[in-house]
Amino acid sequence: MTTTTIHATGLVKAYGRQRALDGLDLATGTGVTGLLGPNGAGKTTLLRILATVLAPDAGDLEVLGQDPFTAEGRRWIRHRLGYLPQDAGFHRGFTAFEAVDYVAVLKEHTETRFRHDEVRRVLGLVGLGDVAGKKVRALSGGMRQRLGLAQALLGRPELLVLDEPTVGLDPEQRMRFRDLVSEAGHGRTVVLSTHQTEDVAAVCSSVVVVNRGRVLFTGGVDELARQATGRVWVDTGRDPRALAAWRLGADRYHHIGEPPAGAHLVEPSVEDAYLLLVGPQSEASDGELRKREPA
Amino acid sequence: MSTATNGWHLDEELARRYAENRVPGMLATSVEQHLASCPACRALLRPAVPTARLAAVWAEVLERVEAPQVGVLERLLRRAGLDEPTARLVAVTPLLRTSWLAGTTLVLVLALLAAETGAQAVALFLVLAPMLPVAGVALTFGPAADPAHEIVAGTPYSPVRLLAVRTLVVVSSTFLPAGMAAALLPVDVGLALAWLLPALTLTVGTLALSTQLTPHVAASTLGIGWVSVVLYGVARHDPFLAAAPVVQLACLAGLALAAAVLLFRSHDLAEILRRIP
Repeated sequence: MTTTTIHATGLVKAYGRQRALDGLDLATGTGVTGLLGPNGAGKTTLLRILATVLAPDAGDLEVLGQDPFTAEGRRWIRHRLGYLPQDAGFHRGFTAFEAVDYVAVLKEHTETRFRHDEVRRVLGLVGLGDVAGKKVRALSGGMRQRLGLAQALLGRPELLVLDEPTVGLDPEQRMRFRDLVSEAGHGRTVVLSTHQTEDVAAVCSSVVVVNRGRVLFTGGVDELARQATGRVWVDTGRDPRALAAWRLGADRYHHIGEPPAGAHLVEPSVEDAYLLLVGPQSEASDGELRKREPA
Repeated sequence: MSTATNGWHLDEELARRYAENRVPGMLATSVEQHLASCPACRALLRPAVPTARLAAVWAEVLERVEAPQVGVLERLLRRAGLDEPTARLVAVTPLLRTSWLAGTTLVLVLALLAAETGAQAVALFLVLAPMLPVAGVALTFGPAADPAHEIVAGTPYSPVRLLAVRTLVVVSSTFLPAGMAAALLPVDVGLALAWLLPALTLTVGTLALSTQLTPHVAASTLGIGWVSVVLYGVARHDPFLAAAPVVQLACLAGLALAAAVLLFRSHDLAEILRRIP
């Protein structure tokens, strides 16, 4: 049974004349929630607000039952928060161990031995136990991404906020990450943003589709996929009336949109429903579709 | 392998004594050699092994091997009474090396200049020395100071405390080389020490002004102010105006005011720091 742990109403955040969040409402609870949306949809801004590092211009927010707009509330939340920002950087001269230990000190793990054990535990969780003594500058991009994830897992946080956590991970690491996150979501709250609809289908108990600073959909993963029922079909040629179409294999095209009479309808995926919701005119889905054009 | 050990195997009694470390040296060596090649005896030994103790020993080995090296600075800070987490934080402040380098460079440049030109070097020193910690404090904020800045912003550690710790690092790592440079100057002690009070005032002033402005603006404002004072002196053919009692007294008053502002407005500073990213 999920309990509501994040409750946001009417969040607004503007950068100059650009509104990153435009009256966004969100209610989510324990389990893994995936944020899907094209670039510039407001995902990062929303996650930064949830992680208490950015204050919105307007709106109400409750995180883990606390008000993040008060100093005490923020402190309370931060003690229970693990945060992986989009560009998680570390000082390049630190070893992997030192980098995570540095964050552990700032998370107020004061007892040295306990802190070191905890650092080793999270490095082991993300498969970096063997390179704990290596300098950050000597780590690969994927390893640095996992280092960012390791620091977020310090102290088994009640709330994990992960911005694009699977970027830079190879397929095997991505599988391992999914296991980690699914486990972290048991009885706790994980909110992650991603471009990968497969990630959402694999680990998320609920999904939120965001575009232009507003929520277009909130619900279960299956529920999202079902939204596209009757609007996905396969044909031997490309149908120009479809909202989007891409080649599946030899002379078979996957279509989404309003199907013609007698079309061969197929089971919709999360990706189909997402593209239907966001529309191919948006920046990311447009790029996605262009990539799928046959050469 | 029975051929290697003449058909000899462990019995339960020997296994238990071995596990409890009660077997004398020579026999223990034989047991070890035998265990390496005899799965049956390893199986016999397994239940007798105190796994909790071994795990503790292994954890201790890892701790010794992997835990960060404690450097000279960190050891000194611990000895001075700073708690371990804070000492760690000071020692790993990413800005430390940069500010130390900048300070040392200043020392070298001024030492060279002093040998050549004398009075002009002193004037230049009086402009630069107080600016060094101010620049350091301004750089203490934001991504330039710490690539993990966004992660740090989401931790419960008080931003004001973190700023205080880092200021301490920057100030001490710039004051020390500046002091050394002062000792190299071909002037009397009073003139050589004239930078100290303005440096303190500008540093604390930057923090105090940061309760109203962003730290970069605060540092720039005070920096420009200080350079103007020294340039005014130079224009009036008084390159040592900064060392004059009136300027020094004004600095003292400024220091007291800035300290008072900091004391009463630290909450505002925390808010400003929060808004920077």
